[in-house]
Amino acid sequence: MSATGVDPITFEVVRNALTEVTEMMSLALRRSAYSTNIKTRADFSCAVFDEHLNPVAQSFSQANHLGTLVEMVPIMVAEYGEDNLRPGDVLLGNDPYRGGAHLNDILVLSPVFFGEDRIGWVANLAHHVDVGGGAPVSIGAFREVYQEGVVIPPVKLVSAGEIVPDVFSLVLSQVRARRETAGDFRAQLAANITGAQRFQALAERYGVEEIRAYIAELIAYTDRRTTAEIARLPHGVYSAEGLLDTDGFTDDPVTLAATITIDDAGVHFDMAGSDPQRRAPVNSTHSQTFSCCAYVLKCLIDPDIPVNAGFYRHVRMTAPLGTVVNAKHPGPVVGGWETNSRLTDVMLKALAPALPELVPAGTKGMICHAGFGGTDPRSGEFYCFLETLAGGYGGRQGLDGPDAVQAHGQNTENAPVEETELNYPVRILRYELVDDSEGAGQWRGGLGLRRDYHFPDHAASFTVLSDRDKWGPHGLFGGLAGERASYILNPNGEAHRLGSKATVELQSGDVVRYETCGGGGYGPPEERDPGLVLRDVREGKVSKERAEETYRVAINTPDWTIDDAATAALRGERA
Amino acid sequence: MTQYRLGIDTGGTFTDATLIDESTGKVSIAKVPSTPADPAIGFLNAIRRITAEQHVDAEAITYVVHGTTVATNAVIEGNVAETGFLTTEGFRDMLEIARQIRPSLYDLRFEKLRPLVPRNRSLGVPERLAADGSVLQALDESALVAAAQRLREEGVESIALCFLHSYGNPVHERRAGAILAEVFPEAMISLSSDVAPEFREYFRASTTVINAAVRPVVARYLGRIEEELRGAGFDAELLVMQSSGGVFTFEAASEKPVFMVESGPAAGVMAATWLGESLGFSNVLSFDMGGTTAKAGLVQNGRPVISRDYEVGAMAQPGGTKARGYPIRTPVIDLVEIGAGGGSIAWVDSGGGLRVGPRSAGADPGPASYGQGGTEPTITDANLVLGRIDPGYFLGGEVPLDLEKAQHAIQTRCAGPLGLDLHVAANGILDIANAAMSHALRLVSVQRGIDPRDFVLVGFGGAGPLHANELARDAGIGTTLIPMSPGTTSALGLLVTDLQHDFPATVGRKTDGVDPAELEQTFQDLAAKGRAALSRDGVANEAARLEQLADMRYAGQSFELPVTVSGGVFNESVLRELVDRFHAAHLQAYGFNAPAEPVEIVNVRVTAIGTIGKPSLARLTTPPASAQPKGERPVWFAQTGGFSPTPIYDRYTIGEGAILTGPAIVEEIDSTTVILPGYAARVDAYGNLMIAQGERQ
Repeated sequence: MSATGVDPITFEVVRNALTEVTEMMSLALRRSAYSTNIKTRADFSCAVFDEHLNPVAQSFSQANHLGTLVEMVPIMVAEYGEDNLRPGDVLLGNDPYRGGAHLNDILVLSPVFFGEDRIGWVANLAHHVDVGGGAPVSIGAFREVYQEGVVIPPVKLVSAGEIVPDVFSLVLSQVRARRETAGDFRAQLAANITGAQRFQALAERYGVEEIRAYIAELIAYTDRRTTAEIARLPHGVYSAEGLLDTDGFTDDPVTLAATITIDDAGVHFDMAGSDPQRRAPVNSTHSQTFSCCAYVLKCLIDPDIPVNAGFYRHVRMTAPLGTVVNAKHPGPVVGGWETNSRLTDVMLKALAPALPELVPAGTKGMICHAGFGGTDPRSGEFYCFLETLAGGYGGRQGLDGPDAVQAHGQNTENAPVEETELNYPVRILRYELVDDSEGAGQWRGGLGLRRDYHFPDHAASFTVLSDRDKWGPHGLFGGLAGERASYILNPNGEAHRLGSKATVELQSGDVVRYETCGGGGYGPPEERDPGLVLRDVREGKVSKERAEETYRVAINTPDWTIDDAATAALRGERA
Repeated sequence: MTQYRLGIDTGGTFTDATLIDESTGKVSIAKVPSTPADPAIGFLNAIRRITAEQHVDAEAITYVVHGTTVATNAVIEGNVAETGFLTTEGFRDMLEIARQIRPSLYDLRFEKLRPLVPRNRSLGVPERLAADGSVLQALDESALVAAAQRLREEGVESIALCFLHSYGNPVHERRAGAILAEVFPEAMISLSSDVAPEFREYFRASTTVINAAVRPVVARYLGRIEEELRGAGFDAELLVMQSSGGVFTFEAASEKPVFMVESGPAAGVMAATWLGESLGFSNVLSFDMGGTTAKAGLVQNGRPVISRDYEVGAMAQPGGTKARGYPIRTPVIDLVEIGAGGGSIAWVDSGGGLRVGPRSAGADPGPASYGQGGTEPTITDANLVLGRIDPGYFLGGEVPLDLEKAQHAIQTRCAGPLGLDLHVAANGILDIANAAMSHALRLVSVQRGIDPRDFVLVGFGGAGPLHANELARDAGIGTTLIPMSPGTTSALGLLVTDLQHDFPATVGRKTDGVDPAELEQTFQDLAAKGRAALSRDGVANEAARLEQLADMRYAGQSFELPVTVSGGVFNESVLRELVDRFHAAHLQAYGFNAPAEPVEIVNVRVTAIGTIGKPSLARLTTPPASAQPKGERPVWFAQTGGFSPTPIYDRYTIGEGAILTGPAIVEEIDSTTVILPGYAARVDAYGNLMIAQGERQ
């Protein structure tokens, strides 16, 4: 590296310092935010860009958002005009057709100046619990993006350090939970204030020109390492397809297709063969699909490589315009992340034959939104609540899939039951693993989970925006598929299966039950180590009957031992 | 009769005993090897050694304070008790589901932490409270008895109980605890409403489970030590250092051991706090660097900063990885620990970047220069190659170092591949390690909105004084303090702390809905508990002190800021003043506040402190201003671009008022201090080196 004229020592210091900027942004955002979705579930991401709008560093957060920021930030700045942004200005926006994702993900972007010199940008994208539109929490099934909520082009939320009251009140007037949303916007601004201060401190310490040079070298370094890693990947053309249950209006499944070509030119993702876009909430934007490809590529290389423009330039993709993976205006996009979560699984399925030691069997492969809102009888104010539920992860070579965990570009936390019940007029009746939901395998998939929402004292609108109601996550190499999910109204009364995309008007006393899918299994279940089957049965995760029928292991329950003779007979029959 | 206080600090390699003469403040130390298989042996050996060496009778010792990693090691190594978990029916998988997140973003082969309690010992019991504490469903007592029976069959010896919303109303937990005590008397019972009465069930449950899982281990360990000491004629008060820096009795520690998980590291920060206090510095950054890790802590306004967001079993990483350890919600001194110690290995990554750590050569094979077969270069090797360490005087000459092996390792593994000069590469290793350590210092300071330039850096631990001057320079810190015997500073921290008990209560209301009289009553109740605890500890009235805090936030936020509550009488104007203080604290923490927004008081807490008399620093007895170097050797500094002849001082011969002008090296048995060119150290009356910029101070 000394050949490039860059001091390797300062390089390492600056590289860590840039990441630290984003982590401090995250801390400020989280600690000062109001909605459970942001403050507790951490449904947001922070990033630093250089003066040329190259991504430079990103926080530990939602990989989905991070890829979106890479496309969205330059588009927003280009449209607004970078020279129209002065010190103390902050840009706001969420337009899916200007580089954004779904409307709930709102960008707050600030130029960072050092004196008169613009040295870069800090940005954060946060999922707001409600942005208006046709149903509380803004995740319902609609025909056009306009029905999904407020579309915000790039506008100044802050000018010369002061919030622009006209803009702020115009935006807040479109949303249901105003006080909460206002608090979340202030938290997003706090994140950028913090980020800009830290970035400026770096420039002060090392000098503006030096920082520019080190950022350029950081990108070049990342590029070199990424290139070297990609060169080690097995050449070939790998394809797979997958189906979403429905589009939310018709019962037609939605086909997602991916072909990944690895050759001397690198890795290329082609989504040709995916269905034409629907007038339904399953379309994703170009930036969302970019995010998905970036996530998969990053998983294939050394996790130690930083994520910045030097990495992102290797993300090459073809997403045909007018399809569910690159919708045209004004297609509705609220479920775009659902589509992309599954697309990730499809891509990994395609790569499984090439990288069997790395790739998991099918995972949750959905975002699994649960959203509801209504008038809180305690305060008389409108409330909105959103969370997303975990599911089983796929089995891997030599490793079971973890139970109840977020997958892929999504890594949001759960909402504590006590916090939820304190702040919203709902009661959670149970929150537990779903026994026997795993995709059986030599390395089994993880279990899904069950959560029951009870509305004891008021009518509410509840929206399910999810998937996997028809098909569970795929198994690999002889492993079985995970159990499918279900979304049930009043499971203990006149049970009604809602399907994976529905808005229902609940009456006081109603219950909605989510049972998320288990992960897919890896390898034939009858080759699973009987000792592991015993542990699962003893822990109640797998039933004794399932152990016998599917894993071909007989267990003596009184003393928790393996019946070796019976197991041999069971496994012998199979062979 | 002369009376003494004794501190026993059990580390990974050595168990240190520190004895203080209460009348003179004279400190003596002894080191014995630690005995990880049964740490009580090392503890007792240390006591025997120091009492024999110093000719001190058992009866002459008034206090014994212990710093131990026995609780955290039990968790990390999985040597915990057979533990059961009881919760509200429908929620028994709380520990399995945990936070539903992955510890790394792009790792397809991640693993989720296994719960400390397996699922077959996690059971639900029918009962339910609402968020306001009202009873929705009565406790099903026969189901509880059946669950107890099942846990007994499972061989459980300790039970954690955590019902939903028990932070606000412990009625069901208390009743269940009483029933369990009756039907399963041999089990130890930990109630979440006792251990960590705060909302967010998983975190409260996790804290309670850690408590239950280590309780039999800790109780046996402390019980055994107590028995042996009593048998040997010691009637001293027996105390344990808590993670928060206070101490509590063996009895209290045996009931709530989750409060002592970071007992060992806390001692170092307490030592820095005391040093600062003794010398008139109330704002101190504590920097403790040993063989495998470096720890940074913050002392502000004379008090260590406390975190309530800690994970057991996960090294605190700079930057945001989460869910690598078991979360606890008890106060822990806010430490950032990183994998940078004398044994940390330097390497070149695939992109041509020079990296240091987090792998460590440990004690075996150790750094290349130990000559025990290590071939990878470490921080110690880099210090040796640059002349900062004398190969013949490492640990006072106990471990002879091989310079050529160190040079060879750095040349072949770092300098060669990078096309750098050997010494430039060695210096680069130190710079990178220093950068990581500066980062740790920033995490505990700048990240909390604290400007490190207002602070004094206290550098200790065996390796700390080698690096402290450079860290202070990089962080813009004006003064660096190197205490005498920095290798044992941490053990000294055990003897300079107070008895401490925390009593929180949930308020959970907006300030406009708080009745001042009721709040006053809550504080009075907590204060009564605090005074009772101190009285049980035998603390005299004049030594007892109570502190009151309110955890506050804007209604809707989830993270609280602690605000000090003064006085005992509450009225509307006192409440308003409290709110104003919160607005100011919010502005400082986040760069904005919102005075029109409603403010909530989430919890209030009373900390009961029983002051223990502190030793005083021992004055130097060497002649004033004496500073004759014992020799000179070439030492490499980036500032001078190569080796400069550098005076070497013997720490034990320098006197008060001496000025050591950098570049200079100060050697003592347990550490070596580097003074950079352009800096100078002034020696104070107690032998501390006060390093600051300038030829003369």
